[in-house]
Amino acid sequence: MLTAVKNQLRVCLLSIKYNIMREMLNKVTFLTNIGFMILNNATFIVQWVILFSIKEEVGGYGIQEIMLLWGLAASTYGLAHVLFARVFSLPELIINGKLDTYLVQPKNVLLSVMTSATTASAIGDLLYGLMVVCIFCFSVRRFFLFLLFTVTGAVIMTAFALLLGSLSFWFVKTDTFGNNMVNALVSFSTYPDGIFKGAVRFLLYSVVPVGMSIYTPVDIMVEFDAWRLLKVAGYTVLLSAAAVFTFYRGLRRYSSGNLMEARM
Amino acid sequence: MKVIEAEDLSKVFRVKQKEKGIRGSIKAVFHPQTEEIRAVDRISFSVEEGEVLAFIGPNGAGKSTTIKMLTGILYPDGGNVKVLGIDPTKKRKQLAYEIGTVFGQKEQLWTHLTPYDNFRFFGAIYDIPDGEMERRIEELSEIFELGLYINTPVRNLSLGQRIRCEIAASLIHKPKVLFLDEPTIGLDPVVKENIRALIRQMNKELHTTIFLTSHDIGDIEKLCKRIIIVNSGRIVLDDSMAHLKYHYLNKKTVEVKLHESVKLPSAEGITVLKEKGGYVKFEVDTAVMKIHDALRRIDTENVEDINISNIPLENIITDIYKSEGKTV
Amino acid sequence: MVMKKYMVIYRSVLMENLQYVMDIAMGFISYFIFIYVFIQLWGYIYESPEELIAGYTKEQMIWYVMITEMIWCGTRSSTVTRQVATDIRGGNIAYLMNKPYHYTFYVLTKYTGEWSVRLPMYAGLTIVIGLLLVGRIPGFRTVTFWAVIPCIVLGITIHAFFKLCISLMSFWIEDSNPFQWLYDKLILVVGTIFPIEIFPAALQPLFKLTPIYTVCYGPAKLMVDFSRAKYFEILLAQILYLSAGCALMLFIYGKGVKKLYVNGG
Repeated sequence: MLTAVKNQLRVCLLSIKYNIMREMLNKVTFLTNIGFMILNNATFIVQWVILFSIKEEVGGYGIQEIMLLWGLAASTYGLAHVLFARVFSLPELIINGKLDTYLVQPKNVLLSVMTSATTASAIGDLLYGLMVVCIFCFSVRRFFLFLLFTVTGAVIMTAFALLLGSLSFWFVKTDTFGNNMVNALVSFSTYPDGIFKGAVRFLLYSVVPVGMSIYTPVDIMVEFDAWRLLKVAGYTVLLSAAAVFTFYRGLRRYSSGNLMEARM
Repeated sequence: MKVIEAEDLSKVFRVKQKEKGIRGSIKAVFHPQTEEIRAVDRISFSVEEGEVLAFIGPNGAGKSTTIKMLTGILYPDGGNVKVLGIDPTKKRKQLAYEIGTVFGQKEQLWTHLTPYDNFRFFGAIYDIPDGEMERRIEELSEIFELGLYINTPVRNLSLGQRIRCEIAASLIHKPKVLFLDEPTIGLDPVVKENIRALIRQMNKELHTTIFLTSHDIGDIEKLCKRIIIVNSGRIVLDDSMAHLKYHYLNKKTVEVKLHESVKLPSAEGITVLKEKGGYVKFEVDTAVMKIHDALRRIDTENVEDINISNIPLENIITDIYKSEGKTV
Repeated sequence: MVMKKYMVIYRSVLMENLQYVMDIAMGFISYFIFIYVFIQLWGYIYESPEELIAGYTKEQMIWYVMITEMIWCGTRSSTVTRQVATDIRGGNIAYLMNKPYHYTFYVLTKYTGEWSVRLPMYAGLTIVIGLLLVGRIPGFRTVTFWAVIPCIVLGITIHAFFKLCISLMSFWIEDSNPFQWLYDKLILVVGTIFPIEIFPAALQPLFKLTPIYTVCYGPAKLMVDFSRAKYFEILLAQILYLSAGCALMLFIYGKGVKKLYVNGG
C-alpha cells in the first residue's frame, strides 16, 4: 500500500517536473511570461491606491488587507495552475475522448490527468503572491499561514473546477458555464467581502467557494482564530471529496460509452 | 494458453435523434428520442499466446470499440471478456501492468524529452525499479537500434524514429500482449518495412502476443498468420492467412496486348473485364478452367505483351467487406 | 471593387457567428458578475446619493464602467491576438499573405464580423442591467446613443490595430502574449474601471496621449456626460489615432514580411 502511494507520488512529481521543463524549453519566453504576469498583477495596486485615496477603507479593508487579499488570490490561482492546469480544461479531454490514454495506464486516472499540464505564467502569479506578503505585510506566523492557505485555496479552486468540469460527463455544453464560474471565483476573490451583502454574501460562502478559499483565510491572517482555521480545513476536505466522487461517477459513464454520441 | 477470450461481446451506443429546426430541438428536450447502434454485436473469438492477429474492418466496423473493451477503456454491455485471465472491466489497473498499447494516431511520448527520459517516465508508471530500468532501456535500445538518438529530444526525430520509440516505450514493462492500432499510418514504405520487421522480431524473441489493426494490407500480409474481419459489429471472417489466400487466390488476372483486335471466345471460367482494341483483360477461375487451357484460347502468334497476376489481397478483403460475409 | 471582397468576408463571418449566439450568452455570467462587483464597490464608496467623485455621480460612475466593460467583453476574441501569432509562428502566414487580399485587413474584417454579433448582445444586456440595478443616466438623451456609436466603432478599430501590432511582433519574438496582457491591463486599469479624471491631475495630460483616451474613455465618457465640444475633440483624436495605428501596423507588417522573405521563416 505504502509503496503504491510512493510510486504514485513519484509519477505525479515526474509529470509536473516534465511539464515545467517543457515550458522552459524557450528560456526567454518562459521568463517573460513569468515576469510580465508579475507586472500584470502589480498594475492592480494602482486601482487600489486610487480607491483608497477616495475612501480610507473599503468593505472594512485597508490597503494592507487588500494586499493580503490580492496576494492570496494570486498565489492560490498560481499554485492551482502550475500543478493542475489540466483540470481547468477537463471538458475538452472528456468530450474528445482523450482520457483513453490515462485509462490504459496502471496509475490513478484522476491524478495522472490533473498533473498532465502546466501554465508557465501561473508561476508569476504564485511568485507575486509570495512577494506581496513578504514586502507589504510580513510576519513569520503570517508567512506560514499564507503558505498553508495558498495550499488550501489552490485545492479548493482545483476541486471547484474539477466538479464543474466533470459535469461534461453528463452534459456536453457545460464547459463555458464551468469556465464562467471559475472566472467568477477569481473576480470575487480580488474584492473585499465587506462590500457584498445578503444573498450574494451567502452564495460566496457556499456555492462559489471564495469565502473559504480567500476571505476567511485573510481574516485569520489578520486576526488568528483556530476554530475558523478548522472550518477552512474541513471545507477543503469536503469539497475535494465531492469533486473526486463526481469525477469518478462521470468516469464510469465515460467507460460505458454514453458519451460516444459527442464523439461521433 | 489462451491470452484473449471474448464471448458474445457486445456494445450498444445510444445516439440522440433530433428533428430539424428549433421545434425539433425543443421536442428533443422533453421527449428525447434515441436510436441504438450496435457497435459490437455478440462477437466471440480467442487468441493464443504468441499469435500475431490482424483485426481489420472498414471504418466504423467496431474495431476500436473492441480494442477499447479489451483494454478496459470501455465497459461491454453484454458477453464476457478475459485478457490474460483478467476481466478488464473489473481489474483495469491490474491488467494495465500486463498489456501495452500503441495508437499510431495518438502520441504517448513527451515530445520535448529524449527517448531515454521518456522511457524513465514510463518505467515510473509501471513501477520498475531504477536498476532494472537501466538494463531494460539498454535492452530495448539494442533491439530497436535507438543508440544513435536515444538522447535526442523526440520532437527532433523523424516520424519513423518516433514510432520506433513509441513501440519501445510501450514495451518497457514487458507486456504479454501488445495492442497496435494502425502502427504504420503515415510512414514511408521503407520505414513501414522496418517497423514490420521489428514487430516480427519482437513477437519471435519476446513471445509477445500481438493484436493489430490496420488499413494497410501490407502490414496484415507481412505480419499476421491469422486474420479476423469485422463489419457492422460482427465477425465476418476468422481464418488463417494461408487458408484465406488459398481460398481466394484461385483467380488469376490475365492482361494481353495483341497486334490486332481479336474477340476472345467466351467460355465457362473466363470473365472478360476489359476489352479495347488489341487489349484484353480477363479473369480466370482456376477451379473451373486450368490456366494453360485459358491461355490456349489466345492466338499466341499475335501476342505483343502478356501479364498474369494474382488478385491482390486488398481486392479480396474489399470483396469480403462488401459481401458482409454472405459468401463465407 | 476592393471593398467588395472584404464585405463578402465580413458577411460570411457574421453568418457563422450568429450560430454561436448561445455560447456568447454564456459569457454574460462573467460580465454580470464583474458589473455586480462594481455596483457593490461604488455603492460602498459613495456615501450619499448626491456625492460627486472626480465630477461623476454614482450612476455615471457605474454606467461608465458598464460601457467600457461592455466594449471589452463584446469585442473579446483571439482573432487579432493568438490566431495571428499562431499564423506567424506556425508558418501559415506564407500561404495567407499570397492570397488576393491584404492579410491584416482580412483579419480585421473577420474580427469586425465577430464583434458585430457579440457587441449588440452585450449592449442589450448592459441596458437591461443598467436600468434595473442602477437607474437612468442623469440627463441622458436618446440622440446621444446614436451619436456615440461611431465613436465606439472607431475605438474598437483603433484597439484592434494596436492589438494587431503586438501580434505582428511574433515575426521576431516567440511569444507576444505577455505584451498583450500588459497592453490589456493598461487599458483595463487606467481606462476601463475608472474614468481618467480620477487620476492625479498631473497624469491626465499623459493619458490623453495613450490609446486609452480614444479606445475606451472617449466613447464611455460621451455616453454618460455628453458635450458637443468633447464629442468633436474625441472624434478628431480618434481619426488621428486610427491613421497612426493603421500606419504603424502596415509598417510592422511590411518589415515582418521582408524578414520572412530574407530568412524564410
